[in-house]
Amino acid sequence: MRWHRITAMLWNYYYNTINSADRLFDIFYWPLLDLFIWGFMTHFIQGISDVNILSMILGGIILWVFLWRSSQDVAVYVLENFWSRNVYHLFASPLTIKELAVSLFIMGAIRSVLSFFTVSLVSFALYQFNIFTFNFFHVGLFVSILLIFAWALGLLVTSFIFRYGTRVQVLGWSTIWIIQPFSCVFYPLSALPSWAAKIAIILPTTHVFEGLRASLSNQPLHYFSLFYSFVFSLLFFILCAWILSAAVHKAKRRGSLGKPE
Amino acid sequence: MDVIDAKNIVKTFPLKRGKVKAVNNVSLRVRKGEIFGLLGVNGAGKSTLINILSGLTYPDSGVINLFGKDLYQHEEDCKKRFNVATPYYDLNRSITGRENLLVYAKLYGVKNPKEKIKALTDKFMLSSRLNIPTRHLSSGERTRLVMVKSLLNDPELLFLDECTVGLDPDMAEIARDHIIQFNKETKCTIIFTSHYMQEVERLCHRIAFMDQGKIVKIGTGKDLVQELNWQDVHLHFSKHIDRAKELLTAEHISFQQQQNYLVFQVQNRQNVLYPLLQKFVQKNIIFNDLQVNKPTLEDYFLRRSRKR
Repeated sequence: MRWHRITAMLWNYYYNTINSADRLFDIFYWPLLDLFIWGFMTHFIQGISDVNILSMILGGIILWVFLWRSSQDVAVYVLENFWSRNVYHLFASPLTIKELAVSLFIMGAIRSVLSFFTVSLVSFALYQFNIFTFNFFHVGLFVSILLIFAWALGLLVTSFIFRYGTRVQVLGWSTIWIIQPFSCVFYPLSALPSWAAKIAIILPTTHVFEGLRASLSNQPLHYFSLFYSFVFSLLFFILCAWILSAAVHKAKRRGSLGKPE
Repeated sequence: MDVIDAKNIVKTFPLKRGKVKAVNNVSLRVRKGEIFGLLGVNGAGKSTLINILSGLTYPDSGVINLFGKDLYQHEEDCKKRFNVATPYYDLNRSITGRENLLVYAKLYGVKNPKEKIKALTDKFMLSSRLNIPTRHLSSGERTRLVMVKSLLNDPELLFLDECTVGLDPDMAEIARDHIIQFNKETKCTIIFTSHYMQEVERLCHRIAFMDQGKIVKIGTGKDLVQELNWQDVHLHFSKHIDRAKELLTAEHISFQQQQNYLVFQVQNRQNVLYPLLQKFVQKNIIFNDLQVNKPTLEDYFLRRSRKR
């Protein structure tokens, strides 16, 4: 793995971002829109409830950004190269699939951090909710699990793109929203019907957001659940990396990297 | 040393019904510093062969050594040393030409990328268009941009797949001159495909003709053309044209009349033309002008492709 090739790809994403309103909107507009809609609604509900619902929802929105941005960006920046037919030149260059993946992870993380700070600052300004008063160790733990899981999801979607081309590009935006209802971002696991809870309990994201709510209510964290989430995310990540490698191998066998769609 | 040593490459693609052998047991050796042309009709397997040699497509079977190393065991090493250009795949359309070139310069680990980019874009007359998003460039400009990208790493092996398509004649000539100059200066091996036969004849030291995935003939442009064993003869008559037609008919030579010209073909190797012309003189059939056209690579291409 060569760092200069990873930085080359990071520059590629940077140029893509500054030249594209879509990619800039991804960082600022959508997370802020979420924050406004959910924040104001929750502010209203807060008045008729004695639960610290505002903090729970804002905390959920802020942490959700890591999962959302990182997974979507991995897939969308690969799609950008498919749309330009630039994939041909990238794969004829010495860039390896590992270097491509690492560059996507770093870029996803950087953009997540930008979104995170934006929504954190705005939520403090609008709702006096300060995420930085949290236990830093807890936030670090939550974020690392979410990032690993997000990268794995991004790799999985990218694999489908390499395997089936841009006709499955909708997965780039939609996959994360299939996960969201089962991840208990804004409500506790106990709020789900039993069939949905069975799915939710498997997902590492559920345990992270449950942990967030526990942390907000000054309750002890279930470290075993978080350990499970971490291990699950890591294994899922390894599996998805293998799937991506197989998908690229298959694309080369089918000759699809060297054929216009 | 052989820069490319490929043996028994086979590549099959599935179709809705059955499958097609895009590359059928092709073996190829290309020497250092050689400009090697790949000719063939659309679908002959040229681009698939280039994709296989550049590591973009895996063959079903066969061995590929580039620079004396197995391509798949030393893929990264090999890819550092070659580059590709084709007008059919753009660079990133969302970013500017300069940004694209900077990205690729970093990917290939080019030292002093800005100077390198300036020198190359000056040569390809692109400097003034570098700050425009790639999607707003004309197709010819995008092709030139891809060519500049392909030269960034001073490749030892360059795959140029129809790289002059879409260029205006002036720019195509500049590109050809640059390819020749680059080949002379750096001894870079070039694999070149084009549908412009004169271009192939001018640039390529050797040419392989591909048909239905196979290399059916390999040699210099002269070697290929020599296979065509005929010459076109154009005889101009101001009178006696009817008598000339009678003579040709008697000699069993088929001809076409184009105004005052009679156009016919004679075999190269047999001494046909001189005795025939003597017969015209003996019978007092006077011709005013004689033009003998030797076959070109284009004739070879047409003959081969019509044989299918």
